[in-house]
Amino acid sequence: MTKKETRDRQYLNVTIVTHSEGKDMPVNFKYKKRHDREKPMALDVLLQAQETKLPDLAFRYGCRARNCGVCTIDINGLPRIACRSVVRENDKLKAMSTLPVITDLVVRRDQISRQLRGKIYRNSGGNDLNVDASEDYHELTSCIECYACLHNCPMHQKNSIDQSESNESYEYGNPFSLLKLQTIVMDPVSSNSQKNDAITQAVNLGLDTCLNCPGCKCGIGIDLKGKVVDPLITASKKIADEQF
Amino acid sequence: MRISLVWKQYDVLVVGSGGAGSNAAETASEMGASVLVVTKDPLSASDTKISEGIATVRASGSEDDTEDTLSENLLLAGGDLPDANITSAFARDSQMAYDKVRANGLRPKISAITKNPDPLPLPMGGHTKRRSIGHKNSGVAFGHANWNSIVKDTKIDYKEDCWLVDIITGNNKDDTKSIVGALIYDAQRGELLAVVCASIVVASGGLSTIYFPKTDTMRGNTGDSYAIAARAGAELVDMEQIQFLPFCLTSPPAFEGLLGGEPVTASYLGVLRDKNKKVILDGVYLRTRAECSAAIMKAVEDGRGTKNGGAYLDMTANKKAPKSGVYFMNFLKGSLPSAYNNVRQAMSKSEAQCEDLWEVRPSAHYMMGGIRVDENCRSIGGSEGLKNNGILGLFAAGQAMGGLFGANRLGSTSLTEGAVFGQRAGKNAAHHARNISGMNPLNKKLFMEKAKKVNSLIGQKGHLHASRIKLSVQKKCWENLGPIRDEVRLNKTKLFISKTRKKLKNVKISNSTKWNQGLIEYLELENMIDTAELMAIAALERNGSLGGHVRADCPNISLFSKPYSTIVRFVNNGVNVARLPRQQTEFKKLIKFKFEEQKKFLGAKILRLMPMILKDRVLEKRYKKIMNIQKPSITVQPGSVEAAFGDRKIL
Ligand SMILES: Cc1cc2nc3c(=O)[nH]c(=O)nc-3n(C[C@H](O)[C@H](O)[C@H](O)COP(=O)(O)OP(=O)(O)OC[C@H]3O[C@@H](n4cnc5c(N)ncnc54)[C@H](O)[C@@H]3O)c2cc1C
Ligand code: SF4
Ligand code: SF4
Ligand code: FES
Repeated sequence: MTKKETRDRQYLNVTIVTHSEGKDMPVNFKYKKRHDREKPMALDVLLQAQETKLPDLAFRYGCRARNCGVCTIDINGLPRIACRSVVRENDKLKAMSTLPVITDLVVRRDQISRQLRGKIYRNSGGNDLNVDASEDYHELTSCIECYACLHNCPMHQKNSIDQSESNESYEYGNPFSLLKLQTIVMDPVSSNSQKNDAITQAVNLGLDTCLNCPGCKCGIGIDLKGKVVDPLITASKKIADEQF
Repeated sequence: MRISLVWKQYDVLVVGSGGAGSNAAETASEMGASVLVVTKDPLSASDTKISEGIATVRASGSEDDTEDTLSENLLLAGGDLPDANITSAFARDSQMAYDKVRANGLRPKISAITKNPDPLPLPMGGHTKRRSIGHKNSGVAFGHANWNSIVKDTKIDYKEDCWLVDIITGNNKDDTKSIVGALIYDAQRGELLAVVCASIVVASGGLSTIYFPKTDTMRGNTGDSYAIAARAGAELVDMEQIQFLPFCLTSPPAFEGLLGGEPVTASYLGVLRDKNKKVILDGVYLRTRAECSAAIMKAVEDGRGTKNGGAYLDMTANKKAPKSGVYFMNFLKGSLPSAYNNVRQAMSKSEAQCEDLWEVRPSAHYMMGGIRVDENCRSIGGSEGLKNNGILGLFAAGQAMGGLFGANRLGSTSLTEGAVFGQRAGKNAAHHARNISGMNPLNKKLFMEKAKKVNSLIGQKGHLHASRIKLSVQKKCWENLGPIRDEVRLNKTKLFISKTRKKLKNVKISNSTKWNQGLIEYLELENMIDTAELMAIAALERNGSLGGHVRADCPNISLFSKPYSTIVRFVNNGVNVARLPRQQTEFKKLIKFKFEEQKKFLGAKILRLMPMILKDRVLEKRYKKIMNIQKPSITVQPGSVEAAFGDRKIL
């Protein structure tokens, strides 16, 4: 083996797109493998970059085990959970494109949760808690809130994703928000009026966009179309029929 | 001034949105208080969200599970260090607090017979009753409930990406201190928040990140709770007591530190071996976590450690047994699904099948000490009978508080701790704020001074980087303040800390105000250093091994000696350390506890020495029993150590 070949096997070339004051700055980074066969995750690369070349590199992470949902970044333009996504030669790591970037790979997230403020689980006390929830309910509550599903969502794209401070909560919804609302519909403890409320909220967030959409994709494999979007559309039609 | 100062006024400030924080916020708001929640991680992303999701609920398994029984379990496990008022409060509130979380969407499996949530089939280690309830989707299910509890209520304001920097107190006439407010770095908006409030609930979690990557917890556990409270003048209790999980992974990097197994999953025939394959600990399934960790670290110290500074967990004998081997594998996979999932991804096939040895090493998991509080989560201080010099208006809950666990934490108790004491803290914080209105204009100066300090860091010149100094602190804490300690090492820690402190003025920090990672790393580094110093001093004071604190240079502290907790606090230019006497459990009960423990080790030994055919038959029966158990509830004798499944049979 030539010297160059040996060296190539020890390193992995990636591009990390840093960001500050509104400007992107791609940085080439050589990840040093611990051994020839190591297949590092994106988070391993970011941690090593911070340890060596980019000491102030900003990125989110928490559990390193695909549980907390905060480390999502774009790898070659697609949303990936950094702590469990293997990186390959010449990959490009960048902040998620679907949310406003603050610094480097960190995006602002809380405009999503704020769109449901005051709209979920109101007056849930007092109901009988001792009822079993269905498998579907548990499938929905396996969501780790990674926001990978925002990618290519036409409803979310109707929002203006800018940095303006006044934009505290997005007007239009997204698969995650619909999932939270459908969770209430699936919850055996919810009353009928709570369920109807949740469905109406979904309509208000722009559920009609889903009618012409091939469907959404979840980062951890929840069946969003079958378990969230389609049932909400059916239920909203039913409510509309009842009203006329 | 470079970062602008923004003034806010609330009744209650809650720091953290894990189990403790969200329960505190919801309860305080229900009491009519205006509430602000700040979290450095996104809403509800926390240890609570990434946990195994098993929670203790008293009397969920059998009606004879009294408050005294549960409280006593905690006291005995904790080596009599816990505060009995706090363990009683835990036992009293567990059902009510759990139901409050359920009202926000947590849905356990409901038993067809009892029509109530169904606990796991066997009591967890140290619990004498079945009362640990597992949940689909583990901690993520708690994460959703906590998220809901904050988002549902428009009266609760919340801000993500906000780092609590310091708590601000004012002096009262009688020399005590009261909360005035807090200074917060809002990284998202690039602002400093001056929050004026009468009550603060510190629910900002633990410190395990000072051992990174030898930890399985969230990145944000940089000791902020303890350091910030201590800098404000609060007392901390039992700071030498940290829980290490012995069987965590050593490689590859993405999995380093994550959980692989627990003593109980090593099962009946699991042993620990050094790098030469010599047995260093047997009867692993009956051992405490601290015993296992100490055995591994001792081998490492003597140069008999494995490549990555650990030891081998050998479960091949379990697997090899012709009949019971199959059951063992099911038991292993079923008891800790997420841990086994880590093993499956990180190790080779033969290792994951237990046909080869696992390389394991301890990881930091939980801080059992913390901010000294009473059962109402109020900061307290001083000796018995003397004036209480706790900080008025300061409350702590969850991992941030001390006094519930002492020297050892029982499994599945922390999620309940968050709910019970989060709710208590929220209630009392709201109550306290009700009687206090507005701010003394003189206090404004206190905020300005703190803000000036932070601002002087922006654009600080230097040749060092906080993120790199953090790595060196983590390495040194592992070596000298880790699962095994002695006087020399603890003094080295103190020296290292004072040297590192001097480096802070040479840390380079950029000029940006929005999400300045250098500033964030700096603030967290400072908290790590302060916390490590307080821990080292508490660890020097306890000159004997007890629970999570293992001293290689001193004998074990006997269960029968007079129990005390360590208390540390910052004073002018140093740390004050003291001993706080604790109430000892009746001798009768202690002797019974010891006796049961001995009996079990003997049972394990007899089993191990049996011929294979016999052994296999006994084991097959046991596995069948524990894995098919439905009803009625099973209980074991008081004093079982780590998950004492099945040993009723042999004794
Ligand atoms: C892998 C794992 C499995 C576990 N399994 C179980 C189990 O099955 N059962 C059980 O009972 N316990 C378990 N535990 C322990 C339990 O999860 C934790 O002890 C408990 O969740 C702690 O709750 P908390 O609310 O005190 O802190 P956390 O849930 O850690 O929340 C801390 C909060 O504080 C915020 N914060 C921290 N610092 C600051 C700051 N400076 N400024 C602003 N905000 C800040 C964080 O962003 C976060 O929101 C487990 C722990 C781990 C790591
Ligand atoms: S629905 Fe799936 S992709 Fe969307 S936030 Fe939840 S886990 Fe992530
Ligand atoms: S189906 Fe609806 S929520 Fe899903 S991607 Fe399409 S528009 Fe978005
Ligand atoms: S770090 Fe928690 S999901 Fe990646």
